[in-house]
Amino acid sequence: MAKYLAKRIFYLILTLFIVITVTFFLMKLLPGTPLTNQAKLSKSQIALIYEQYGLNKPVWQQYLLYLAGAVKGDFGTSFQFSDQPVSYLISSRIGPSLQIGLQAMVVGVVIGIIVGAFGAMKQNTWVDSTTTVVSILGISIPSFVLAVLLQYYLGLKAGWFPIAEWGGFIYTVLPTLALGAQPLAESARFVRTEMVDVLSSDYIELAKAKGLSKTGVIFHHALRNSLIPLITIVGPLAVNIMTGSMVVENIFSIPGIGEQFVKSVLTNDYPTIMGLTIVYSFMLCVVLLFTDILYGIVDPRIRITGKAN
Amino acid sequence: MADTVKLPEDSFKPISADDRAALDSEKIAAPSLTFAQDAWRRLKKNKGAWASLIVLAIVFLMAFGSIFVSPHDPNATNPSYANLPSKIPGININGFNGTLVQAGQRIDAYKQAGASNVHYIMGTDYLGRDLFSRVLYGTRVSLIIALVATLFDLTIGVAYGMFSGWKGGRIDTFMQRVIEIILSIPNLVVIVLLILILKPGMLSIIIAIALTSWTNMARLVRAQTLELKEQEFILAARTLGERPMKIAFKHLLPNLSSVIIINTMFTIPNAIFFEATLSYIGIGISSPQASLGTLLNDGQKNFQFLPYQMWWPAVVLSIIMLAFNLLGDGLRDAFDPRTKE
Amino acid sequence: MKINSAVKLGTVALFSAVFLAACGSSSSSSEADKQTLNWMESSALPSMDASTATDVVSGETMNNTGEGLLRFGKNSKTLPGVAKSYSKSKDGKTYTFNLRKSKWSNGKPVTAKDFVYAWQRTVNPKTASQYAYMYAQVKNANAIIAKKKPVSSLGIKAEGNYKVVVTLTQATSYFPALVASPMFFPQSQSVVEKYGKKYATTAQDNVYNGPFKLTYWTGTSDNWTMSKNASYWNAKNVKLKKINVKTIKDPQTALSQYQSGKLDATYLSGQQPKNYKHSKQYVERKSASTFYIEMNEKKDTMMKNKKARQALSLAIDRKQFVNKVLQDGSTAADGLVSTGLATKNGKDFNDDAAVPSATTQDLTKAKKLWKEALKETGRSNYSLTLLADDTPAGKNSAEFVQSQWAKLGNIKVTNSNLPFKTRLSRSQNGQFDAVISAWGADFPDPISFLSLFTSGNSYNNGKWSSSAYDKYVKAASGKDANNADARWNDMVNAQKTILNDQGIIPVYQQGKAQLVKSDVKGLIYFPTGANWDFSKAYISK
Repeated sequence: MAKYLAKRIFYLILTLFIVITVTFFLMKLLPGTPLTNQAKLSKSQIALIYEQYGLNKPVWQQYLLYLAGAVKGDFGTSFQFSDQPVSYLISSRIGPSLQIGLQAMVVGVVIGIIVGAFGAMKQNTWVDSTTTVVSILGISIPSFVLAVLLQYYLGLKAGWFPIAEWGGFIYTVLPTLALGAQPLAESARFVRTEMVDVLSSDYIELAKAKGLSKTGVIFHHALRNSLIPLITIVGPLAVNIMTGSMVVENIFSIPGIGEQFVKSVLTNDYPTIMGLTIVYSFMLCVVLLFTDILYGIVDPRIRITGKAN
Repeated sequence: MADTVKLPEDSFKPISADDRAALDSEKIAAPSLTFAQDAWRRLKKNKGAWASLIVLAIVFLMAFGSIFVSPHDPNATNPSYANLPSKIPGININGFNGTLVQAGQRIDAYKQAGASNVHYIMGTDYLGRDLFSRVLYGTRVSLIIALVATLFDLTIGVAYGMFSGWKGGRIDTFMQRVIEIILSIPNLVVIVLLILILKPGMLSIIIAIALTSWTNMARLVRAQTLELKEQEFILAARTLGERPMKIAFKHLLPNLSSVIIINTMFTIPNAIFFEATLSYIGIGISSPQASLGTLLNDGQKNFQFLPYQMWWPAVVLSIIMLAFNLLGDGLRDAFDPRTKE
Repeated sequence: MKINSAVKLGTVALFSAVFLAACGSSSSSSEADKQTLNWMESSALPSMDASTATDVVSGETMNNTGEGLLRFGKNSKTLPGVAKSYSKSKDGKTYTFNLRKSKWSNGKPVTAKDFVYAWQRTVNPKTASQYAYMYAQVKNANAIIAKKKPVSSLGIKAEGNYKVVVTLTQATSYFPALVASPMFFPQSQSVVEKYGKKYATTAQDNVYNGPFKLTYWTGTSDNWTMSKNASYWNAKNVKLKKINVKTIKDPQTALSQYQSGKLDATYLSGQQPKNYKHSKQYVERKSASTFYIEMNEKKDTMMKNKKARQALSLAIDRKQFVNKVLQDGSTAADGLVSTGLATKNGKDFNDDAAVPSATTQDLTKAKKLWKEALKETGRSNYSLTLLADDTPAGKNSAEFVQSQWAKLGNIKVTNSNLPFKTRLSRSQNGQFDAVISAWGADFPDPISFLSLFTSGNSYNNGKWSSSAYDKYVKAASGKDANNADARWNDMVNAQKTILNDQGIIPVYQQGKAQLVKSDVKGLIYFPTGANWDFSKAYISK
């Protein structure tokens, strides 16, 4: 296990190194400078400001400096927030994003499991059809459309929830719903398929034959065994949530990193784009690592060894 | 062999045609079906998937047919007929009769614009362009992006997966590591970076989506290839000295087709989805070109006053996504011989 | 979709009641609550350092939390600020400001030294300020920026604690307007040095001498709060207790927040202005930026032909463009200088200097002129490339102008939309036939626009040249700099000259549409830089 962990962490570092390198050189290919009013500046002034940002050095030096900084968690200074280090910009904004992301994941997956399990138990009835339709609809509606609808009908029209901004828990309800719809739909679909499989397997038949109650069968055997593979889709779901957050945070004016990423893209704030790319990759790597370890723990059939595969 | 049993001459006699017909147990009652035929038959039994296939066929026909026959020019502006709501002749339900609520009162927008004799099924947008034509046009652009991106993604993914699985060993391990690294970079981030470099536009969106979404296909194809290459028919082909290229195309690919087709059905809606998100962020297709994503984004801005401008593209997008997903599910069941009937 | 409006009103009222009740329980005094302004911005506050900030939101916030020697009032008029009075030498090159006794929010006095320190800090090459060029009129500023002279040689001196003497390189009539802008505000040396690199990166790492002080801002937060500054010298006339500013990027969300009463004002975009045009709460704010077309006169004879240039201008229906296409509060340009920028005796600059015959559509005349121009230059038709930005507005403009020009006949227009940087370098290198350019005024004086098109100016991309124009502009900033009437006439004549000769084609003036609750009174808007002054604002309920 320790050997496996060491290996995985090595790959994590390697991945981050590649991400940093690739994004750094991609950014160098892009047009644009930290100057917001380039049109009005003289050449000598531009040179002066370049010096300030270290942009006058050769690219390889800039790269090494960036790499050395990144190791220490220093991603340079934002172009847009001219006095703020990117690391501070990210750390002060990551909280709301994490909160909504986690809430959406938990709410989505839990409700998804319930919906999926119901569907499987009442297979081929109207309950099943309804849950299937709901889950496919959840996948079919883009989160920003859902966000707009929720905001308009539940926020403005009904007035049940705040329309936007960031405050207490109540402010997180609509964004969580908008973001959670996809994990909900995906996990409901997944659980239903798995559970239909499990329900028709021999050991369930045996348990039934032994006279175990229906709820006993469902909770002790079927549900448990269908949930294990669900861990494998947590990684992809996390990616979905990250993607969705960029849009949902914008619509609900949440001071998070998704919104910041979009803003940085539109304002050519390259140090921030790079910093956020690294942070996103790091988060995803960690999620993948955890799900792999968790999978190894809950499923005895999968043994983690030091060997490849 | 001392005592051979002597049998009378007439112990055996050749079976006659009549006898053969009487032997029911040997008869294959149903016509012999190839794998594809069987899958098709199963698919037709799945009502959802069958309906989806028809819906998709209609959507494709209308979207691509509108190149030749479009109700209006999707880019022709007519500012004096701007923002007219849906009006379908003969239907007098609010929302479809050309009326809308303005300053708290329901008014006939067509009358107000002096356009009582025309009607736009889905209404018009802020420049007076026919929304129905725009939606058809946008659907076409979205489908083209999705299809071309999927095609690229197919080619890369299938080739990568087959090569990795076929070679095995160190090469396979290395190639799998590469995939793992790619998978741990959020794909929207990569897409955004690529588009920034390539300048927003249809081509860069296609490239960006294709470059990031092939990993799933590669993984599935590799797993299947690993399984297949141990099977006898491949072994036989190898023993006979068949070139690997030929084995790949003649033997592997047909056996991989179900995995590929199913995965494609899920890749296409994903690509449509990505394009829509990019448009929302503001780096998607640029006007006067339109995609479902840009139409949704435009509509979203006016949802309060002109809800139909978001509803129509949203409904069309959702129908397409729904159809692809249902068809994908249906195909998966159809290709899986274990599916219960 | 059918919603009974009475029910709708009911829900809104109920919602507001619930919402207000919820608010009431948490806050004590309702009187204090009333004087709270809820404001929105579409982008966050990136910096509060007067020396390095570059954007509008920073300028606006600093304008309310700080104060220079003078401050802007209604119609961009300069009023006494930290300086209670000032005098100007006869040659207009020396200004002496007499400071009042005022305090920073930390209780320390605001002195002449704070101005000297701030100004020197901004032009100091080490600070690398992107706006240092605004100091060009101050003696030695350019040499200091170019590292040729020491920072201490800047033309500002403190005489005692309450007198500032500024020396200029030449008489500059709009200098009072400059010192009212945030980049000329004082900075406390002890505070800047105390916080070092962290100076002005959060609400706490800073001191304020304006009507308000920043009480909440983490440096990266989407919300920030300005509260009344009790140390401000004129605090008794500041009525607002608090201003909550929120960043809302999605226009639909902003409007919903406004409708639900969470904002007292909101900017409108896209189709929203159209739906509110007739509302009492609807206001259009003119920005001091003009979009205009430059034609490359160095490239060929056609663009050198005045009739051709006139034809191109007269072919454009600017009203239709701003009302039907842009619809965002922008207005048809009356001239090169933006409307609402400068007034004299209550009359706008463009009331005196507009040339309607050069900026109003007249297609028949345009066609005629175009035909004549073709004949005079010996062509049967003319094709040109129209360069523009690749932003949505840039594309809209290019497409519209293209369709309008097509009506002239015997013309072929190709559009080329490029990223800003590329477009800029192409236009500066003369690699274009016609280009849609834009200019925003840095200070409220027509010369900010007019100085662009003198012969040889690096922003004069089309290389249009007129000795009369050069003479007027030179007089306005030189010999007539101390004579307000003569200077005004010089500038009026300059704009008339360039419009009559169609040296450029003004297209539109950028605007912002806004909704403001009717109980919000006393907001002061100015079209350049800092945009807003809340010091006189109050809620009338």
